[in-house]
Amino acid sequence: MAAADVRDMLDLPAEGQPRPHKKQKVVEKRPEGITRELYALLGERAPPIAINENKYKGRPKWMNKLRVRPWSMAPFTNNARSDGLVLNHWQRKHESARPPVPAPAPAPAGSQTEVDKPKEEEKEDVSKLPEQEYAFAKYNVKPRLPRRYTDDEYTRHLTSDDWSREETDYLVDLVTDFDIRWVLIADRYDYQPRMDTKPDANALVPAKHHRTMEQLKARYYKIAATMLSIEHPPSEMSEAEFELHEKMLKFDPDRERDRKELAALQLNRTADEVREEAMLLEELKRITSNEQNFITERRELYSRLEVPISVGNTTMYQSSAGLSQLLQTLLQADKSKKRRSILGDSAIPSPAGQTPSTAGGLGRAETPVTQAANKKGSITSKEPNQMVRTLTSAEEARYGVQHHERVSAGVQFRSDRAQRLTQAKSNVQTQKLANALSELEIPVRLFMPTERVCKDFEKLIQSVNMLLDARKVSEKVESEIRVLEAAKMERERKSREAAGISGPSADPEHPHVKKETEDSDTGLLGHSTGPQNTQGNGVQQGDGNHKRSASVLSGVSDKSNKRQRR
Amino acid sequence: MNPSNPPQAAEYGGDEVSAIVLDPGYSTTRAGFAGEDAPKSLIPTYYGKYNADGQEKLVFGDDVFVTPRPGLSIYNPIGKDGIVEDWDMAERVWEHSFMSRLTGTKAGNPFQNGLNDVSADELPTEMEVESEEKPLSDSPLLMTEPGWNPAKAREKTIEIAMEKWDTPAFYLARTGVLAAFASGKASALVIDIGASNISVTPIHDGMILKRGVQHSPLGGDYISSQIKAIFKANSPQPITITPHYLISSKSAVEAGQPPQAIYKTFPADKAPDASYRALLEERTLSEFKECVVQVWPGPTRLSAPSPTGVSNEDMARTTPGRPFEFPDGYNQVFGVERFRAVESLFDAKAAIPDPDSSFPPPTPAQTIPELVKASLAGVDVDLRPHLLANVVVTGGSSLLYGFTDRLNHELMQMFPGPRVRVTAPGNTSERRFGSWIGGSILASLGTFHQMWISKKEYEEHGPNIVEKRCK
Repeated sequence: MAAADVRDMLDLPAEGQPRPHKKQKVVEKRPEGITRELYALLGERAPPIAINENKYKGRPKWMNKLRVRPWSMAPFTNNARSDGLVLNHWQRKHESARPPVPAPAPAPAGSQTEVDKPKEEEKEDVSKLPEQEYAFAKYNVKPRLPRRYTDDEYTRHLTSDDWSREETDYLVDLVTDFDIRWVLIADRYDYQPRMDTKPDANALVPAKHHRTMEQLKARYYKIAATMLSIEHPPSEMSEAEFELHEKMLKFDPDRERDRKELAALQLNRTADEVREEAMLLEELKRITSNEQNFITERRELYSRLEVPISVGNTTMYQSSAGLSQLLQTLLQADKSKKRRSILGDSAIPSPAGQTPSTAGGLGRAETPVTQAANKKGSITSKEPNQMVRTLTSAEEARYGVQHHERVSAGVQFRSDRAQRLTQAKSNVQTQKLANALSELEIPVRLFMPTERVCKDFEKLIQSVNMLLDARKVSEKVESEIRVLEAAKMERERKSREAAGISGPSADPEHPHVKKETEDSDTGLLGHSTGPQNTQGNGVQQGDGNHKRSASVLSGVSDKSNKRQRR
Repeated sequence: MNPSNPPQAAEYGGDEVSAIVLDPGYSTTRAGFAGEDAPKSLIPTYYGKYNADGQEKLVFGDDVFVTPRPGLSIYNPIGKDGIVEDWDMAERVWEHSFMSRLTGTKAGNPFQNGLNDVSADELPTEMEVESEEKPLSDSPLLMTEPGWNPAKAREKTIEIAMEKWDTPAFYLARTGVLAAFASGKASALVIDIGASNISVTPIHDGMILKRGVQHSPLGGDYISSQIKAIFKANSPQPITITPHYLISSKSAVEAGQPPQAIYKTFPADKAPDASYRALLEERTLSEFKECVVQVWPGPTRLSAPSPTGVSNEDMARTTPGRPFEFPDGYNQVFGVERFRAVESLFDAKAAIPDPDSSFPPPTPAQTIPELVKASLAGVDVDLRPHLLANVVVTGGSSLLYGFTDRLNHELMQMFPGPRVRVTAPGNTSERRFGSWIGGSILASLGTFHQMWISKKEYEEHGPNIVEKRCK
């Protein structure tokens, strides 16, 4: 019977912990140099100090029997040198030159030859050694520099106003000497122009021309790039060469100088600046570490905001509106599910499986209802008693929480709602609204559609609508008045004609009426504006066409004034 | 590792050619074989001169300290700025440095050295006399020089090495570079506190940056002069240093009490020169520097108030003093004075005025922080942070107690932005012989052997080759 079976029967936990080790007997090793009897007397506890000393361990005994391999002071030359300097160093003698075991001595008669033999071998060694490559010569590496220019090439490609031929030569020599280490080149750069004219004229000693590292680099890179492109035209260059060529061509000394100035500033910061920078860096670190926290919190908040009121509360479904809403949500959820399956999304997450954290920002925007439904499920199943905080009105204002009597499904923008207000039923009306808004210098699309702004906008639109209605009515009334007056005049004229008397009181009325008809004509042409007083009209005409369409409100107000006067 | 196997050459890159490394300084001259960890031969650069039997005689090495010969006067072939002034004597001193311990004098004629009994008639009449035996004919020689050594002095050096000593190969390296090598760095800012000079040398890729080399005379000798000024102003009575050779016997006295010693007197015609006394006083002073003098650890200057409001000087007063006994038995506990002696290395205003001193009062530009600043200003910006992260401290006077701490504080205050890191070997001999050790490393590297100036090259190109090769 296996141990697992027994465990199973006895309801013991499966092999959770490893079994305790068997207590091992610690057998202390008896140190060398102590007899067994003496060691036994010591008992269990080891003495606090070491009894035996550490002895120097020499080479193992078997090594003593080995033959000593000889070393010899041998001369060598270094291939990295051109002058063939011979120095001496200790070197192992060649093993191969010698038989591994010294040959047994031959007859005493041959002793003379025996003495000579090793000498010859030594000579062989010596003569052989210098042939070997000196081991360190391979470290003598030089950077690859472009070919030196010829006179012809210099005059054709490289002449410069700033650089004489001599100085250029000096620079290239220096670059070769210091293996393109610019720090050193700039440090040692000390070109003294040859003074051909009047060496004794002290007054005419030119001020020493100090070249910065950037100038040196710019000049050298130009030379090197030119030489490179002469050797291989850019089209034939290898990739590395071309890269180098490009890099050298693109060297910008001014930018480099600016960079160095900045670097110097950075280096010479005061202690305060350094402290401030450290503090800012610390702050940044804190912010970035908090950001993650913040994101998770915000996600949680979002998920909480999208939570529909929990199912436990059935009061909202008791009204017919509530029921219809529920039906709608369910239908939409169904629809979106179908759509998904059509789209080939085989793995539809079960409502309970989809947690708020998996719902990305995009998914939420696309299928808000599904998620709302899912959430509902998940919350009821997973977190049934999630805390719901009731907010005071001040807090509601602060967090921007609103309660809508009727929430339509899906996301909608407040600005869209505001936009919808500006759309009237007829195009003409819409146009009029737009005109009114533009006169008030309010953009058709609100910049900052906060709740308060939207409310005010709504009010504004309402009053504008009201004004437009009032104008319509007033126009109608006025035209009726005009018709009736005309009819009345006609009647009077007829009666006067009939009576043969012309009424002097009617004369002052005439111009007024005429003007008003004119005004209404212009108003018709300019697709707005009711009757106006003469002065305003004149100004408008002088100003040009585009202004004529303005002032719905002023026109309206004028009109109302007039009406009041009348 | 099996001791019978040699180390792989590639592991440490060494290939010893039994070169001699000669590191001449103002106070001492160091010489030894390359590949060793300390110079075998350490002699004072000072030499003595006296007249005996109507002949002028010279004393070299440690012998100068020993016997107060009549009329013995002490000279130094090297000038105050570290450049050789007296070439003939410098050559003799240097020759002594390696002849006495390293190469030895050449074996004379075995018939004449008195060890072999040869009857007079057996003496060969014709002997090849090797009169032109030269001391260094089988060892390459690596010599050091300060970073501001003029070209003429360099050419003179190679002339001596090649023509007088007959060395097969020669190289002249900068002390700063070698000190950086000794710390295992190819790029560093080397602060060398020597006897006659302090110098700051920026090194890049094993070469000095000439525009950044700065030096000033506030070295060990200047500190000695400051200590003397402190002794003069000492209360209750000024202290005079009586060197050991003038003391016959002494008895113990209480601290601050006048000494009770029996002095030796020399009649005027037997007495050594005043320079001899000065040399021995200097020895006592260096003992004083080792035992008593301390650098105020910082972070602020000694004269500045500390963050707690108490002035640093008062803080220094509260630390326990250090006793010192002079050769004549006089002893005293030194309190805050011991900080003042070196404060002027960092703060020129803190210098103790002394009209008798041969050193003019230091200017602010001569202090160490200013030297570092000037040195870095002469170097490319991109290099500066790297140099500050690799500050190497070397030279015997840098062993003053608390010196590196203070230097670190000063540099951090001056450059709060970049990382400052001061490297100073804790081992006394590594600090004192930093440049020699670097030379020892360099001359035993296999890759270095292509750099030697060989005799043949010297003959071809003349002494000017040293400018081309030893850049």
